[in-house]
Amino acid sequence: MKPLKLIVTTLACCVAATVGATEFRTLDRAAAAQLVNPSSYTVPTIVALWSSECVHCKKNLKLFAEMAKADRRFKLVTVAVEPHFAGLAEPLDHLAVPGQRFAYGPESPEALGYALDPKWRGELPRTIFFDGKGGKTALSGVVAEATVRSSLGLQSNP
Amino acid sequence: MVSVAVVRASVRGVMAIAASAFVVASAAAADLQPTPHMHGAAAAMPARPELGTSAAFAPDGALYAVTKEGRHVLLHRSADDGRSWEAPVVVNAEPEQISADGENRPKLAFDADGAALVSWTRPLAKRFTGEIRFARASDRRQFTAPVTVHRDRQEITHRFESLAVTGAGKVVLAWIDKRDLELAQAANRDYRGAAIYAAVSDDGGRSFRAEQKIADHSCECCRIAIAGDTDGLPLLMWRHVFEPNERDHALVKLGADGVPGQDVRATFDRWRIDACPHHGPSLTVTPDGTRHAVWFNEKDGEGRVFYGRLNDGRVEGQRALGGEQAAHADIANAGQRVGIVWKEFDGERTRLQAEISADGGTSFSTRTLAATGGASDQPRVIRRGERLFAFWRTEKEGMQGHWLE
Repeated sequence: MKPLKLIVTTLACCVAATVGATEFRTLDRAAAAQLVNPSSYTVPTIVALWSSECVHCKKNLKLFAEMAKADRRFKLVTVAVEPHFAGLAEPLDHLAVPGQRFAYGPESPEALGYALDPKWRGELPRTIFFDGKGGKTALSGVVAEATVRSSLGLQSNP
Repeated sequence: MVSVAVVRASVRGVMAIAASAFVVASAAAADLQPTPHMHGAAAAMPARPELGTSAAFAPDGALYAVTKEGRHVLLHRSADDGRSWEAPVVVNAEPEQISADGENRPKLAFDADGAALVSWTRPLAKRFTGEIRFARASDRRQFTAPVTVHRDRQEITHRFESLAVTGAGKVVLAWIDKRDLELAQAANRDYRGAAIYAAVSDDGGRSFRAEQKIADHSCECCRIAIAGDTDGLPLLMWRHVFEPNERDHALVKLGADGVPGQDVRATFDRWRIDACPHHGPSLTVTPDGTRHAVWFNEKDGEGRVFYGRLNDGRVEGQRALGGEQAAHADIANAGQRVGIVWKEFDGERTRLQAEISADGGTSFSTRTLAATGGASDQPRVIRRGERLFAFWRTEKEGMQGHWLE
C-alpha cells in the first residue's frame, strides 16, 4: 500500500471509529425532544431506552443488535436513562450494540423522561420505533422480532 | 474527535481527503443519522445522583436519616424536624460499595430501646449481584461492624432489602434473592422472576436467624413493603410475577418465628409485561385491621399509581392517585390518621403531593407540600406518636420534611 493511501485509509478508519458512536453523549431536554420527533427520521429507526438496573433490557438490546447487523435498512439509537458512570457501556459493548449512545445529563430524570415520552412511566425496556415516514410507536417490555419489523414498517426480511 | 484533533497541520490536506473518503464510504449511514441537538460530550457527563435516603424518628423524638456518601452510609440527626442537621455519624467504618438510587436506599429503624438499626445493599462485582448488610448502634453513634445477614454467600442477587421492627420487637429484613433462579437455570428449567427471602432477629439485630424463603416468583427490582399487622406480626407486600407474566402484587404474613403463611394475590390489575417497573408498593394497617396499600401498575393500558384497601383477596376502593405523572407513592398511618405521599412531574418541576385522611381512609384531602426543579428521591411518610411526617430529599434543597396535618 502506498504511504498516502495508507494514511488516508488509517485516518478514514479513525474517523469512522470515532463516529462509530461508542462514547455516550449527554441527553438534555432539547436533544430528547428531537430524538423522539418523527420528522427527525427519514429511515426506520429504533430508539431503545435501557438502564444498568434493568434485567430485561439485554433481551431487547441483543435482538436489536443482531437485527441491525443483518439488516442495514434501519438504524439503532440507545438511551441509558441514567447519568454516565464507569462501566455503563459494558452491557452495550458485550452485546456489540451499534449506533449512537446517549446517557442522561444533569436535568432531573423526570424532566428527561417526560421529554422522551410523556406516556412512559419508567418501566424498562421502553422502545420507540420510527418508520421513517412520520410514524411512531412506543412499546414497553421485551419485544419479538416480528413486532420490531412491523413497528419499523419493514414487512420483509432483508 | 480525538483522533482527528491530534493530526498536525502538515497533514491537513490528507485529513481532508480522508474525511471525504469517510463521507463517501458512509453516505448511507449518514442518511440514517438523526440530528438531535448534541449537548455536551462524554467528558461533561454529570455525576450519578444517589439520593436514596431513609428517615425515621427515634424514641426520643429526634429525626434521623441515612444516606450514602461515597463508600459510606451516614446517619444524620435533626433536633428540629429536618430544618437543620447535625454532623453525621459514619455507619460503616470500612468503606464498601453501597446502593442508593431508584428502588435502592439504605434503611433505618429503631428498636424499642432506641438503638439505631441500619441496612443496605452492597453491590458485588458481577452485575445485578449484592449482599444485604446490617449494622447496629445502641447509642446511635458507635456502630457495630456491618454483617452480611444471609448465610448464602454466592455472588448472585441479594438486593432491594427492606427493614422493619415488628410490634413484638423482632427485626425483619426481607430482600429479593435469585438463588432459586440460579438453580433453575443451572438445571435448564424456566423460573419466573426472582424470590423473596427474609431473616428475623430475636435480639434487636445482634444476631439473625438463618434466612427463609418467603415466596418464589417475585419481580426482580421493586422495593418490598413491610408493615406491622394489628397483632404486631409483619406483613410483606411485593410485586409478584403471576403466570404467565402478570406483574401484580402478593401479600404474606410472617409468624412469630418468621415462618411465612400462605401468600395471596393482593392486586388484580393484570399488567402482562416482561419488564422492570422499578416501582414497588407500600402498605400500612390501621387499628381496625384495614390494610391500606399504594402501588403502581398499568391497568387498561394506562400506568397509574393506585390506592386501595386489601381485603382477603379483593381490593376495595381502588382509585388512581394524582395525575398521569404520579409516581413512587408511600403510605403510613398513626391510629386512624392515614398519610399518602407521592411525587408528580408537572412538565417543569417535580411536586411532592399528599393525601391525608383523619378517618381511617374514608375520606382524604389533597395538598401540594413542595416542588423541585432538579432530581429527587422517592418521598416517605414516617410517624412520630400520633403525627405523620412527609420526608423528601431533593438534589437542590436537601433533606426536608413536612407535617401532614
